[in-house]
Amino acid sequence: MKRYILNSFVAAIILFAAACKPEIETPAGTTAGQANFSKYIAVGNSLTSGYADGGLYLEGQKVAYPNLIAAKMATVGGGAFTSAFFSEEHSNGSGYISLTALVNGTPTLTPVVDKLAIRDAAKHLDKYNGEIQNLGIPGMRVDLAFDPTLTFSAANPYFERLLPDAQVGKTNYFQFIQGRNHTFFSLWLGNNDVLGYALNGAVTVSTDPTTALTDKVTFSSLYANFLNVLTAAGQKGIVGTIPDVTAIPYFNTVTVAALLNAAKAINPAAAAIYIQTGTGAVRPATAEDLIRLPFQSEGIFGKPNGSGIPYGLHPLNPIENKWVLDKDEVIKLKDYVNSYNSSIKSLATSKGLAIADTYAYFNQVKTGINVQGVGINASFITGGAFSLDGVHLTPRGNAVIANVFIDAINAKYGSTVPNIDITQYRGVKFPN
Amino acid sequence: MKKFLLSALLSAPLWVLGQGFQVNLQGQKQIGMAGAGSALALDEASVFYNPGAVTFLEKNSVSAGVNPLLFKSAFKQTGSNVTEDVKNKIAPPFEFYAVWGPKSNKWKLGLGVYTPFGGLVDWGDNWSGKYALTSLNLKAIYFQPTLSIKITDRIGIGAGFVYNHGDVNLQRAIPVNFPDGRSAKATLDGTGTGYGWNAGLYIKTLSNISFALVHKSKVITKLDGGSAEFEVPKSLEGSFPAGNTFNAELPLPATTSLGIGIPLSKSTVLAFDASWVQWHIYQDLSFDYATNTPALVDTKSARNYRDGSSFKLGINHQASEKLALRAGVGYAFSPVQDGYVTPEAPDADRYILSAGIGYTPTRHFEVNASFFFEDVKSRKQKNIETGLDGTFKTLVYAPGISLTYKW
Repeated sequence: MKRYILNSFVAAIILFAAACKPEIETPAGTTAGQANFSKYIAVGNSLTSGYADGGLYLEGQKVAYPNLIAAKMATVGGGAFTSAFFSEEHSNGSGYISLTALVNGTPTLTPVVDKLAIRDAAKHLDKYNGEIQNLGIPGMRVDLAFDPTLTFSAANPYFERLLPDAQVGKTNYFQFIQGRNHTFFSLWLGNNDVLGYALNGAVTVSTDPTTALTDKVTFSSLYANFLNVLTAAGQKGIVGTIPDVTAIPYFNTVTVAALLNAAKAINPAAAAIYIQTGTGAVRPATAEDLIRLPFQSEGIFGKPNGSGIPYGLHPLNPIENKWVLDKDEVIKLKDYVNSYNSSIKSLATSKGLAIADTYAYFNQVKTGINVQGVGINASFITGGAFSLDGVHLTPRGNAVIANVFIDAINAKYGSTVPNIDITQYRGVKFPN
Repeated sequence: MKKFLLSALLSAPLWVLGQGFQVNLQGQKQIGMAGAGSALALDEASVFYNPGAVTFLEKNSVSAGVNPLLFKSAFKQTGSNVTEDVKNKIAPPFEFYAVWGPKSNKWKLGLGVYTPFGGLVDWGDNWSGKYALTSLNLKAIYFQPTLSIKITDRIGIGAGFVYNHGDVNLQRAIPVNFPDGRSAKATLDGTGTGYGWNAGLYIKTLSNISFALVHKSKVITKLDGGSAEFEVPKSLEGSFPAGNTFNAELPLPATTSLGIGIPLSKSTVLAFDASWVQWHIYQDLSFDYATNTPALVDTKSARNYRDGSSFKLGINHQASEKLALRAGVGYAFSPVQDGYVTPEAPDADRYILSAGIGYTPTRHFEVNASFFFEDVKSRKQKNIETGLDGTFKTLVYAPGISLTYKW
């Protein structure tokens, strides 16, 4: 009897309290403002496609920042948002790299080779036929979007898979994005116009246009063409600035100091790391010279050549130019990024568009920020924002950037697209 | 070749204790009057409210009571359209008192066991603030033997020694992910002890208006050798060693109260209490781990509390010989400054409303019940340390009941 009374008492309290929940009123999710989100298209490169961990695969596609934004736009009149998802059976898409061990801070990265969407020996990917609104294509550049030879549509497997056979080699990206009856767009393009060059150690291979550095004036005029067609029917939209490519983990993980420490551990007499600069000069490396991430796994550091001189530790056997962004190249790349960004901002401003200043945001990430209890920085693996390729974003990084876009959209158009809860998205997966 | 600094994983300090953890539920009659009553010699709960008034109690008595408390907090991230609520969990603040002294003598002995600080908040393992906190269960149980002495027929003083037994269990998600995508988790669990005192002065003027001055000292509660458990992916276990322990200090603040009791009629009395809660002692919170790694460093987090205060007005009306009715209102100023609000006690200034009823069926027995309600104001905050950015709103409901035996 006592227990019964007590239980009834407790049950009554719970019922009462459930009915008296605290309420918090906010305007989020109530209006599209001056924007119309009924058909949103996302124009861009690998970042827009959801590319991560050195590959394009289903998990990454699903959390690409445009897909996260579109899901939130749905609360203020946004329509469906379609993407060229790989099938569940081929969910690993192009394949990607995973972290399989972390011993004393040294990672082992292993390619994922099952469930691939590779359809032939030439490594073409599974075709996707439906209509799509996420138009992000890994490797796409502002200059190559206007490829007059139309060959990039065949050479880039991510572009090729989106085209009917009849169009392969017969179109370019600028044509591809048109005629889609959009009401709203995002344009985050131009990273590869400088990144392709940077990732190759600031060496342009004449036969490979993806390693070129796009001329500043050319960039501006081509970017203007994009904005002209995307706003042709008076559509509203948002553009993203280009992050400082020299700030990504790809160039800041294998540091000169780390290499020198590793060398000293074997030979305490090691005094300097030698590099070959972009001008062909050979000199000791400084902290301002950046080494590419793959140098770590290449296994050539310290290897003696035919004359017995260890690689990278002697002026007669320096680290080759292609592995290094020397400090002059870093200055040059930063200058190009700044130039592209001032073009992007002034063109977008003249069209009255919203601007997601990802350049400014990633500069904050580089020094480290705390967002909703999550510490995020630009460290490789542990920073949380960058995936295992050191260039592209984790799901958490995508969620954070999606909020940068959403905030800029809301500020410009008076809309209340809700923010994304970034804590629901992961960083790097650590092996168990 | 390259050592990765895992310390970034824990760049935000682990735990954030303190603040609105004061529980103002120490006696059913006083609770019914919003917590006022230090200047009234109402009953054995004066051991807590004013040891100086204990000696003016007419009878010896023992009592026990409980106030099942529901802390209903909600959170909405800035820019989000989703409101998240804490789980319905009932915290059990309780109180036990005994008062004894030879009849018509100048002194009385008292014992109080009560829970002046505590918190029970469970936001669930997957809410949007999980990297700041998932749950807190904090209990401070004070044991207070007391001596109260009449200096004159109208002035009493009393003092008690306070021993605190504290329990704390804090849980938080860590923003590193298992292969299946779920987050790692940290659990800190510890027991601590602390000491203090509680002293009061009670003055009944010739006009029968009574005054009280009470000081409850701070109680620095030391948690030694608490367990620090980390559920992390195997590849990170070296950074979060198993079987780790921690030491920490939880400073529970001193409270100084000034009370006035005003008899309005033979059967009705008004009580007013003003309290100054000296939270300024809570400047930072430090956790010292027995085993440190680059990822798990000792933390020292700024709290920068200011002093809090509260003002409470209550009325007690003896409707008949057997029936008493009570009501109260109050207002409390939060000690937590902007930028330091956290999900374990999402504090803000608050309104207090209460009601109570007492029934005395026989000369020896008494039953008292109360209902205590707090409306904690909505507060939009971005925490300086964790970056948790959103609006908190809290309502507190606490019904209570006690039984008393008098002789």
